[in-house]
Amino acid sequence: MTADPIAAGAPVLHAQDVTMVFGGLVALNKVSLTLEQGQVAGLIGPNGAGKTTFFNCLTGLYTPTSGRVLLNGARLAGDPAKVTIAGVARTFQNIRLFPNMTVLENVLVGRHSRMKQDPVSTLLRLPAFHRGERAAKERARELLAFVGLTRAEDEVARNLPYGDQRRLEIARALATDPSVLLLDEPTAGMNPQETEATRQLILRIRETGVSVVVIEHDIKFIFGLCDKVSVLVQGELLVEGTPEVVRADPRVIEAYLGKPPEEIEADARTAAEEHDKGEQA
Amino acid sequence: MTTLLQQIANGIALGATIGLIALGYTMVYGIIQLINFAHGEVFMVGAFGGLAVHRWLLPEAWQGDWYISLPLMIVGGVVVAVTIALIMERFAYRPLRNAPRLAPLITALGVSIVLQEAIRIWFPNAESAQAYPKAFIDAQVDLGPVSISASKLLIIVVSVALSVGLQLYVTKSRMGRAMRATAQDRDTARLMGVNPDRVIVLTFLIGAALAGVAGVLYGVDITNVDNAIGFQNGIFAFTAAVLGGIGSLRGAVIGAFIIGLIKTLGGQYMPGGTQYDYVWIFVVLIFVLVFRPQGLFGEAERVRA
Amino acid sequence: MTTTTATVRSRPRITLAPTLAKPLAAAGGVLAVIAALLPWTTFVLFDNDEVNPSLQYFDAPFALSGYRLHTMLLGLAVLVVAFVPRIPGRARAQRALGFGIAAIGLISLIFLSYNGGGVGTVTAADGDAAFGAVVALVAGVLVVLSAIAAGITDIPDFPTRLPRLAAYGALVLAFAAILFLVAETLTAGGRSGVSNPYAGPTFLAFLGMAGGVLGALSGVGVVRWISALSERHRAFSIIILVLCALSLPLTSAGNAYWMTVATTIGVYAATAIGLNVVVGLAGLLDLGYVAFMGVGAFVAANLSGAATSKLGIELPFPVAALIAAILAGIVGAIVGSPTLRVRGDYLAIVTLAFGEIFTRSAQNDIGGLTGGSNAIPRIPDVELGGTAFNEEIQVGGLELPGGVLYYFMIVLVVGAVMAVFANLKNSRAGRAWIAIREDEDAARAMGIRTGKAKIMAFLVGATLAGLAGAIFAHKLTIASFDSFKFLESVTLLAAVILGGMGTIPGAVLGASLLFVLPEKLREFDDYRLLLFGLALILIMRFRPQGLVPDRVRRAELAGETATGKSIDEEEALVVEQEHDGPTGKKGGTA
Repeated sequence: MTADPIAAGAPVLHAQDVTMVFGGLVALNKVSLTLEQGQVAGLIGPNGAGKTTFFNCLTGLYTPTSGRVLLNGARLAGDPAKVTIAGVARTFQNIRLFPNMTVLENVLVGRHSRMKQDPVSTLLRLPAFHRGERAAKERARELLAFVGLTRAEDEVARNLPYGDQRRLEIARALATDPSVLLLDEPTAGMNPQETEATRQLILRIRETGVSVVVIEHDIKFIFGLCDKVSVLVQGELLVEGTPEVVRADPRVIEAYLGKPPEEIEADARTAAEEHDKGEQA
Repeated sequence: MTTLLQQIANGIALGATIGLIALGYTMVYGIIQLINFAHGEVFMVGAFGGLAVHRWLLPEAWQGDWYISLPLMIVGGVVVAVTIALIMERFAYRPLRNAPRLAPLITALGVSIVLQEAIRIWFPNAESAQAYPKAFIDAQVDLGPVSISASKLLIIVVSVALSVGLQLYVTKSRMGRAMRATAQDRDTARLMGVNPDRVIVLTFLIGAALAGVAGVLYGVDITNVDNAIGFQNGIFAFTAAVLGGIGSLRGAVIGAFIIGLIKTLGGQYMPGGTQYDYVWIFVVLIFVLVFRPQGLFGEAERVRA
Repeated sequence: MTTTTATVRSRPRITLAPTLAKPLAAAGGVLAVIAALLPWTTFVLFDNDEVNPSLQYFDAPFALSGYRLHTMLLGLAVLVVAFVPRIPGRARAQRALGFGIAAIGLISLIFLSYNGGGVGTVTAADGDAAFGAVVALVAGVLVVLSAIAAGITDIPDFPTRLPRLAAYGALVLAFAAILFLVAETLTAGGRSGVSNPYAGPTFLAFLGMAGGVLGALSGVGVVRWISALSERHRAFSIIILVLCALSLPLTSAGNAYWMTVATTIGVYAATAIGLNVVVGLAGLLDLGYVAFMGVGAFVAANLSGAATSKLGIELPFPVAALIAAILAGIVGAIVGSPTLRVRGDYLAIVTLAFGEIFTRSAQNDIGGLTGGSNAIPRIPDVELGGTAFNEEIQVGGLELPGGVLYYFMIVLVVGAVMAVFANLKNSRAGRAWIAIREDEDAARAMGIRTGKAKIMAFLVGATLAGLAGAIFAHKLTIASFDSFKFLESVTLLAAVILGGMGTIPGAVLGASLLFVLPEKLREFDDYRLLLFGLALILIMRFRPQGLVPDRVRRAELAGETATGKSIDEEEALVVEQEHDGPTGKKGGTA
């Protein structure tokens, strides 16, 4: 492992020169990312920059053509289930809940890899089964309370309002007890209030010691939330650094943001102010 | 050696029949992702349509002249096959266009059973196999060491000609372009002014017409038909379509020839003989699906997240 | 008539003024009563017609029995439901009753006119008039229209927190009623065959009546209430249910013939529940499922000392059945293993291919183990303490019919299979299956080893089928490849879907219907498969969620939503969401 220029502590997640080629198309070219414990990292970039592809490489849905992904120094397998079991959970850009299961059941599915049930006690409903179920449900309800969905636990997931579905997806991901949580556009389609609530939620997740990577289009949101930001353009890592560094980088402004610098400055300032307000509240 | 060549010739003739049916499977799947299980029955109904023409419509004077009776029987078979296919598309499948995927598949099973039973019950005497007129030159053609019946040669020629024609139609014509566009993305095709309903109907129509031709030629070659020929050949054809990569016209035809060869050669050379020839086809099907699910000529499905 | 503008599905809709509801219901109810009192045919259909005296209006005008009695009772029920104030879910109940009356009318109409040689039989001919069936049909339609006019409302909920005794009483009553209904349904129309030309239509008319009554009870919320109660008192319900099932031999169905029919249904019900694990829970379409039952049957046949078996082994039945189940399970895991790489429709084809390979091999007497087209005959009966299971037995003063022990055994096995299904469904494994059915990629992202889980589903389903197959072979005393062909797989699949995917009562009901109907409708034997195929098409078109849909989950074949909204309301929502653009599900791009 090479020494990381930014990280002071030991990195939780370390993606090293991840390259992904589809046919002849290079979707990702040597993208690296380092995440320390309790950090929130943002991933921004124009459409088709490879953000979701990068997530899919991290979570084992795609096997990178070259490069590797380490979690706490151990290499992650190219299998989504194993990656989740190892401690990386994700949400999806276009929400992918289990639509006909209840809210509580959705979260219980997230507990799958963290609970044990042997066939005999399951079939005979022995005390061991009930203990396990009770513990899983308790944890699931805790998480529902954490994201604010307690009252909806018996609703069928597909009947939830849009914003609640996003939150349920986060609760479900948290149920796998991840050390890293990957959020793919968690505020897409949300109004400002919902977006702010989501920002608060991510900050609270960070407080529990979980590291987070967020893909977003909303620059204000990213700058007001993240400890570090990476900019992907056409499959390449363009800039990486603190929000201040990224915001000031002329290449970012030119390649991705496409608006005059002053405007972005203004955006970033409001974001920072809102951020401060959030902290005070 | 002669046996081998002879079986290869037989296999190619069988493959030609299966290929005509497989084209219908692959086209319908390509457009609406439906395994039209009943397509084999369209083939069977087509065969009976040709038989009906010969039995009840052809004046006796014409029955001896194959160049009159065969074309008329083919027309009859095609008309019946197409009519049935269009009715089935309109009333069984179209209402389920947006239903979960299990629903049309089960409907297709239902249609298949209904067609088999309808022929058995209502086609006179069709509880048992029916003799089919040999409405073609009844002779063997010698090709080197191999002897093949003229009717088998006819099937091969017609099948290859129709497949090439279809390929040209789909790649070159305006409607063919609309079909390919609909297969790619129905919504976008609609926005581009393509009427997906018309395209789907046309797809069923072409598939059924090919199956109808195949049905009549099959009957003329084998000289007897029953209501079960559709199911068996339908499964062979489906296997061929999958083997070739479902959605690919070229793949379906090549897959069909491979299936034909497996059946005749497996029956000849594998343990168990012809009693197990059927089994080898399924074994191949399973291996293809497991190790190359996209088939020989299909594109790999990309995982989306 | 108006047409909904929804792009998803446009269905013509009848709208009627709500004020018409009561008059229509009154007219329909009165007409139904009148229909029952009218003659139904213009002449006696069959010579020596003692079987169905209700047809002989001129001999016995007031001998109201059979379907005429049912028509009258349904008509009176319509009037009661229409005029008793504050009945919850009134319109749903009326709709069901209306369909019931119409079904009786229509079935009789078709049967009588077909056998009587024309519509003269059921209208007027030779100076006689007989409009009973026509009037009944009209009455039914009027009642259905009245329900539409009143507007279909949600099914009401009743409180389920009752004193323990009251709840137990209600459950005992309900299950006793079910037992009565099952016995009546089984024997309705009597044994089908040459001796009884009325068996088919009488049975169908009875089903129409029973369906109407059950639908009405469901409409006013009784069925939901009972199932909620039984959910609450689960252990008690299971005991009572098993007791009720065990007392079937004491009812009108208590003879050897009906015991055999009931046992066969039980075998298929157990198999259907096993298939329900694979299809209903895990969402894996299996078109070769009956092969597992076949494996079980052939293994049991070979291990039980059947005369022609080449193995010459004779094990006690429980051991043979256990080995049969385990071997079937192993075969299931092998057949299921392509699921690691193959999805959806392709998997269905792989299972079909395996099924065909099995049938072909069994037909050709593979390894000398299946007897080929000679089958394996003379499989010895199961014995317990010297009593063969097909013998009549006496318990105390009670004479029980032959085959009753097989029936008892299958009741216990079905009970056990139900327990396995229910306990798995509500567990870590069951949730994993359902998650895979709902969204396989998301399930994997939740840490579920989907390959392992899917093979487990196949294994469990096949084990249950193998067990059922072992019993099947012993009960029939013969194991033949003929019983395990593609059509049987389709029928089992149809049973699961017709009943309702993912539910136990659904699988049992579906299996019962699909395996009783052919038994009952022997005179339509020639049309049996045709009707079956038509039924498949119609079910998929009009009620894809099945007769007893899963309350919450209907992913594969969803119709109504969990909240009981109709499809059309749901469509309206979908359309709205799509118009909402970025806030809808489709919003957000990368």
